[in-house]
Amino acid sequence: MTTSVDEIAGELRDLLAEVTGRDELRFIPAATALFGSGVGLDSLAGTLLLRQIQRRYGIDVAAEDLNLDSLETLGTLAGFIADRI
Amino acid sequence: MPNPVAAGPVVKCVVWDIDNTLLDGVYLESAQQPPPADPVLLGVVRELAGRGILQAVASKNPPAAAEYVQQLAGLDFAATECGWDSKPEAIGRIAAGLGVLPGAMAFVDDDMLERAEVTAVLPAVLVLTPEDAAEAAGWPQFSPPVVTAEARRRGQLYAERRRRQEAASAFGGSRQEFLRQVGTRVTIAPAGAADLPRLHELSVRTHQLNSAGHPVGADELARLLSSAANQVTTVRLADDFGDDGLVGAAVLAGNGAAPGPAPPAMTVPLVMMSCRALGRGTLDALLAWLCRTAAAAGATKLDVPCRVTDRNVPFRLALAAVGFRAESAARAADGRTVFSRPLGGGDLPALPDYVVVSPRPVSPPPVSPQP
Repeated sequence: MTTSVDEIAGELRDLLAEVTGRDELRFIPAATALFGSGVGLDSLAGTLLLRQIQRRYGIDVAAEDLNLDSLETLGTLAGFIADRI
Repeated sequence: MPNPVAAGPVVKCVVWDIDNTLLDGVYLESAQQPPPADPVLLGVVRELAGRGILQAVASKNPPAAAEYVQQLAGLDFAATECGWDSKPEAIGRIAAGLGVLPGAMAFVDDDMLERAEVTAVLPAVLVLTPEDAAEAAGWPQFSPPVVTAEARRRGQLYAERRRRQEAASAFGGSRQEFLRQVGTRVTIAPAGAADLPRLHELSVRTHQLNSAGHPVGADELARLLSSAANQVTTVRLADDFGDDGLVGAAVLAGNGAAPGPAPPAMTVPLVMMSCRALGRGTLDALLAWLCRTAAAAGATKLDVPCRVTDRNVPFRLALAAVGFRAESAARAADGRTVFSRPLGGGDLPALPDYVVVSPRPVSPPPVSPQP
């Protein structure tokens, strides 16, 4: 059985809330931008998020995605992970 | 009599990483003969143990690694956590087992990301680099009678940081809102000759947030500072909890103030930032300022060559957040990957309102803090 993009997005919301300490991020839509005016992910929180992703899914996003385009939105990141598990 | 409250609570337990911290190398990489101890840090372990401070290890290694270090140190650790769990989990188990609160614990690790993770999950823990730990025996947190003014200042910086982290974890809003709430002040100013020693120190001591990937010599920094074709810029950071002093710098090549037309693309040959500034809006502010300054000088594109390693992911995240991208084939002459951002189209990154741009060098404080 594979994990769906929606399920991964749900898990990522929890990870985001954890690394930023902001519970409201558990309810953001998949199209929310992770940088800038969306989540406003900074380099520290972003690094901690990528570490959690590596621990949970065994995927090193930074090693596979030079420009970190996968971090555009919550949905693109979930899709990037779903394609690799 | 120094006031221990001002410097933070006295540390009752120090948790040490093993690889490249207590050992001068990686335990599992040398199956025949494990690496020797770091003599300075092992001396600190013995000294602090002699003061009654509990010593523990948390390491991503088999338990034999802890036994090996214990033999080298000639003392028993109060707790050992060897395994592949996260460091905050390991520290949490040590705290529970020894009955010590996180606020009375210190954690020493050479890996910036391990330190960042412990800082985020356990903000009350005093998190130190091996360089800091080497002199921590002189800090008030580890010995109530303060030894030197410098040690007092350094211990003070960490106490400020612990209070800031506790406030951050209690704050519900966004990081930007928190930075405003605590009165963050980022000052961007041209480097002056008086900044040279600190710039050189940053160049030697920042590894993960350094785009060059290697230290830049004092002579080269002095040359850059006196060259009209390069603009050397410093970043200072302070907030209501304390003043961190000069935490970062960048070099912008192709000075807009120099005679002649500006080149279409300007380059940033060096960005360096103390990891203490991570998560405090400082690197983003510096990158935004570089984009805006290059654009104002007439450049249509800004290039930032960067050595891509598995440890400078925070730097790449900051580049991505302000819109820099690399063609994987785009390499500088020295082999670095070139991250670029177009400067036209009116979508320049905004300078946050807590950034002050000074037209003149800012005098360094009497005691310069370390990264």
